[in-house]
Amino acid sequence: MYRYIINRLIMLIPVLLGVVFIVFFIMDLAPGDPVYQVAGEQATPAELQELRVKLGLDGNIFTRYARYIKNMLRGDLGVSYISKRNVMKTYLERLPNTLMLASVTMVVAILVSIPLGIIAAVHQNSIKDTVSMILALLGLSIPNFWLGLLLIILFSLKLKWLPSGGINGIKSIILPALTVGLGLAALMTRTTRSSMLDVVRQDYLRTARSKGVTEKKVIYRHALKNALIPIITIFGIQFSNVLGGSVLAETVFSWPGVGRLVVDAINQRDIPMVTGALVMTTMLVSIVNLLVDIIYAYVDPRIKAQYTK
Amino acid sequence: MRRKHLASEKYAKRSAFKSIWKQLKKNKGAMMGLAILSVIVLIAILSQFAFNYKEDIIAQNIGNRLQHPSREHLFGTDALGRDVLGRVAYGARYSLAIGVVSVLIAMVAGVALGAAAGYIGGFFENIVMRITDIFSAIPSVLLAIAIVASLGKSTFNLMVAVGVASIPAFVRVARASVLTVRGEEYIEAARAIGMRDWKIILVHILPNCLSQIIVQTTLRVASAIIAAASLSFLGLGVPAPAPEWGSMLSEGRAYIRDYSYLMVFPGLAIMLTVLSLNLIGDGLRDALDPKLKR
Repeated sequence: MYRYIINRLIMLIPVLLGVVFIVFFIMDLAPGDPVYQVAGEQATPAELQELRVKLGLDGNIFTRYARYIKNMLRGDLGVSYISKRNVMKTYLERLPNTLMLASVTMVVAILVSIPLGIIAAVHQNSIKDTVSMILALLGLSIPNFWLGLLLIILFSLKLKWLPSGGINGIKSIILPALTVGLGLAALMTRTTRSSMLDVVRQDYLRTARSKGVTEKKVIYRHALKNALIPIITIFGIQFSNVLGGSVLAETVFSWPGVGRLVVDAINQRDIPMVTGALVMTTMLVSIVNLLVDIIYAYVDPRIKAQYTK
Repeated sequence: MRRKHLASEKYAKRSAFKSIWKQLKKNKGAMMGLAILSVIVLIAILSQFAFNYKEDIIAQNIGNRLQHPSREHLFGTDALGRDVLGRVAYGARYSLAIGVVSVLIAMVAGVALGAAAGYIGGFFENIVMRITDIFSAIPSVLLAIAIVASLGKSTFNLMVAVGVASIPAFVRVARASVLTVRGEEYIEAARAIGMRDWKIILVHILPNCLSQIIVQTTLRVASAIIAAASLSFLGLGVPAPAPEWGSMLSEGRAYIRDYSYLMVFPGLAIMLTVLSLNLIGDGLRDALDPKLKR
């Protein structure tokens, strides 16, 4: 098991190096020299050169990349062009807000999708199944930022129950979490249903029923346990989409998380901030995926056995 | 004896397309999706003749601004006095074009890379798959945002950004399908008679994964339309004053309190388009891959 975790951690290193290079390369495609943006119009060529060295903008993309990696290993992601603040520090300040939103989103998704998926699978081809699947399809087809706007119109402007934006107490997280969570729930309802349908047909369930285990117990004890495995995997994969989706929810609800940070940084052409935030977010997604895989290996004895041998 | 032979020949000649269509026809959802999509495509085509882009779609008419929906303006008018109905109808052109072109970019690049990786194997496959891993590690919305931000805001760059972000999915699908048929005897036979590698891939391998690719493409167009609208909503997509649905929602947002009708129609248009594509994609998947059907 430890070998598995260590192997996975080692495999993460080239991926992260690659991510930094890709982000670097993409940002390098941008026209114009960022030095002018920082120095202003009146700077002399000598001042520009000095600033270029100071900002680490001298040299070709490979030298800059190597320097960036070297600094990154020391936890230094550079300084914002706009606010002149430390990128890492700014990111870490915003991160808890995004993680909070992501966690509540995940809870919403679980609470909606698992019961709905189970009901659909247990009553396959019934009206309950059809309704659940139609709801899931609608959820998949609604752009989440639009859902957010509709929720604002209904719950903030018409009913005046919930705030339309900002971060201010428990009430303010409900709408953003629903915005991202319902889309995710739609996807997971489908996964839960098909995963349950796979399990429901297996022999050991027939055995359980034949020895007189109640139907409820068969479903929740015997079937769900095995059905959960693919659901957990989807969860890990979707975490990346939750962070991506929260960019929009954070914009719609003025939620001060890392998604807003990226969008603001892009609008201000704040390259160190964009690069740093993308690298950190990707790292976060990779680590969460790793954790999910570990949990997955732990939950499923069949996988665990492969690594303990 | 002869008649029997003819009958079986006739049966064998029935094209794959026809049998898929026969399956698809039985699927109510897919047929509904096809109907909705046809109407949207029709609107996209006709809107060019029904409206004059300069006069009806982007010309400002401040005296007529923020009119609630009425008989004259069924969907109302926006903050610059433009008819929302016309803009939503014209917007179909943008969303469909962006969705289709960006997915075509992703499909051509992804399938070529994935098929080559699966067929050639070895070092090349390893490199392609590791690069794919790296690209899929970055959340796709963020990747697309970074690309548009760097290349600059334009409709074409938006297509490229959304397309690039969808390449990894196609690489994976194509490679996986190639791997399942790579060891088959007919591939070996083709190689034995001296067929060139690219021709083997094109003629013998890709047709086998066509069904997977078609399903993937349909569903991807749906998500590409959402992605493109999202980027436009963030102000990183189709530049104003073009009537793109995402940017219309973004423009209308300032008036959400008193003119919420501005939020309704462009969003509904996105949802219906995406829904129709999802319905068709699901139907195609059931028709093409009986294993998945339940």
